[in-house]
Amino acid sequence: MRDDLLDPRAVLLHESAPDRDAAIRRCGRALVEVGAVAEPYVEAMLDRERTISTYVGEEVAIPHGTAASKEDVKRDAICVVRFPGGVDWDGERVTLCVGIAAKGDGHVPLLAELAEILLDPDRARTLREATQVSQIMKELT
Amino acid sequence: MAQRTVTVASASGLHARPAKLFVQAAMKAEVPVTIRAGEKTVPAKSMLGVLSLGAVHGTEVTLEADGPGAEEALDTLAALLSRDLDAEDPAHA
Repeated sequence: MRDDLLDPRAVLLHESAPDRDAAIRRCGRALVEVGAVAEPYVEAMLDRERTISTYVGEEVAIPHGTAASKEDVKRDAICVVRFPGGVDWDGERVTLCVGIAAKGDGHVPLLAELAEILLDPDRARTLREATQVSQIMKELT
Repeated sequence: MAQRTVTVASASGLHARPAKLFVQAAMKAEVPVTIRAGEKTVPAKSMLGVLSLGAVHGTEVTLEADGPGAEEALDTLAALLSRDLDAEDPAHA
């Protein structure tokens, strides 16, 4: 798997957000801060979420931009943002967001790996309850 | 056992929005449907299962189901996979 997709600086483990949109903005900002996307991408992530939920199960959502926002992606990257207090995601509880910036499909193997981890309840818990950046890096890269 | 083999047509592959639409359609099916890519077979109504296939644009997948309504269910799901769902994205402006 590509190991250049997740910058340890884009792993935030102790965030809180009053609602889904705030959580998505936090993820978007993490991607902006590591230079993966331009600012307008954050709004595109909100647009995407309004058309269809990116909740995937196991308290995890994978917010990402719309097809039209690919021009705002500078390089493929993901961010991992943990909300230990939980965020209401259209009725689902989300404690972990994996934000995605992707031009092509270079991030798909990583998504598949993430899904693989989440299908294993023990590994899913390790990911959701991680308190060290190194734990996330170890699971995902 | 009813079976359909189709190529994933959505530009972004079978994850994100196209995967969600596929899973939602599979949940409405009257029979359990499985989807296979390569060696891996997962329930079509499991979002995590479908994501774990890592199917990109052009990946060949096989749908399978058994029982009354299986043919119709597979027709619907196969038709969905062979459309570019990204091109029909309301947020695609």
